Amino acid sequence: MIGPIVSSGLISPAWDNIFAVLLGMGFGFALESSGFSSSRKIIGTFFGYDFVVVKVFFTAAIVSSLGLLYLSSLGLLDYSQLYIQPTFLASAIFGGIIMGIGFAMGGFCPGTSLCAAAVGRIDGLIFFGGMFIGVFLFSESFPLFEKMYYSGSMGAKMINSVFGISPELFTFLLVLMAIGMFWGAGWIQNRVKKIEY
Amino acid sequence: MEKKYIYLSVLLVVLALGLVILPGKDDPKETNPKLLLSSVTEKSRYLSADQITHRIIENDPTLLLIDLRPASQFKTFALPGSMNIPVDSILISTNIEIFNQPGKDKVFYANSDLTAEMAWMLCTRFSLKRIYVMKGGLNEWFQTIIETKSLPVTASSADMELQSFRIAARQFFTGAGPSTVAPGAGQSSEKVIVTRKAPGEKSGGGC
Repeated sequence: MIGPIVSSGLISPAWDNIFAVLLGMGFGFALESSGFSSSRKIIGTFFGYDFVVVKVFFTAAIVSSLGLLYLSSLGLLDYSQLYIQPTFLASAIFGGIIMGIGFAMGGFCPGTSLCAAAVGRIDGLIFFGGMFIGVFLFSESFPLFEKMYYSGSMGAKMINSVFGISPELFTFLLVLMAIGMFWGAGWIQNRVKKIEY
Repeated sequence: MEKKYIYLSVLLVVLALGLVILPGKDDPKETNPKLLLSSVTEKSRYLSADQITHRIIENDPTLLLIDLRPASQFKTFALPGSMNIPVDSILISTNIEIFNQPGKDKVFYANSDLTAEMAWMLCTRFSLKRIYVMKGGLNEWFQTIIETKSLPVTASSADMELQSFRIAARQFFTGAGPSTVAPGAGQSSEKVIVTRKAPGEKSGGGC
């Protein structure tokens, strides 16, 4: 767990790891119950017959954004203590392309592959194994990629600061965008031939 | 689209709109660098160990002592009435609220000046008011109040008065007796010449 859950000290930081395990289990349960352990369901995003992946992740993004900002304004969460992953633009773009290709080819992302492996799906287990081979190869050949890996460093950059707007306004725009996307995804889905799986 | 999704969408938009409309927390304004420089050069931020001690004894309600040392050191010893805010957590919003308390003189101290100066600089940069540093930190406070040194008998009356205050303060903090370090104590006293009767000498006179 990065940062205290309750900044007032109401809950001891010693509980953070317990919460991390519970939250991880909850995340896994949510993935499985959303059908994310099926690669055919996930791959539906690329073929237009099932947009559940985009819908779930967009919903998670807007709910957590709203939750963080409301909890922060109520003084229950210290927004300044959140760990923000530093941005390395070049490697993020390059990694995103590789991840996208892997996602479309394998039908899983790292989290969903673990979920599929946990319920005993063979394709999930193979993807999971392949992921570790990839991690091993990348680690061994890291000196070759090191320069690119650290290029385009922008520090802990928030997207709202790039646009010069407040986090609240950005969240509002994100919610509008998400609702537009939900509607658009439904519109496409109705026009694409349904696939039973 | 199903009705339940429409309701959910409306709820999300209302919640998001609420964030935009509701007054947000004011971000602390940063002090102008020129003002900060002038604050750094002037010495009014310092309060001496004697001044702090006097205010502790007087139970001054406007004094807020903030111990910047780690919690383990704070538990071992701290000035009465002080609160522990380790320097690495000084900018947490709940602590900023403490420093923003009106009508309080926030006095930082640690073992020496260095940590307190750092904290003072951070808070002053955040435009927080009435922030002070206890000059010399706990080390100087200990030397001044607890290990107060004796004065020569030729010391001025002002110094004698200050010394008396320190001795009384030491008694307040430690319970030690007032006569342990009296003014003039420690000076070599005149040697008393004892005249002894020579052995075998008879006493003259008397009964």
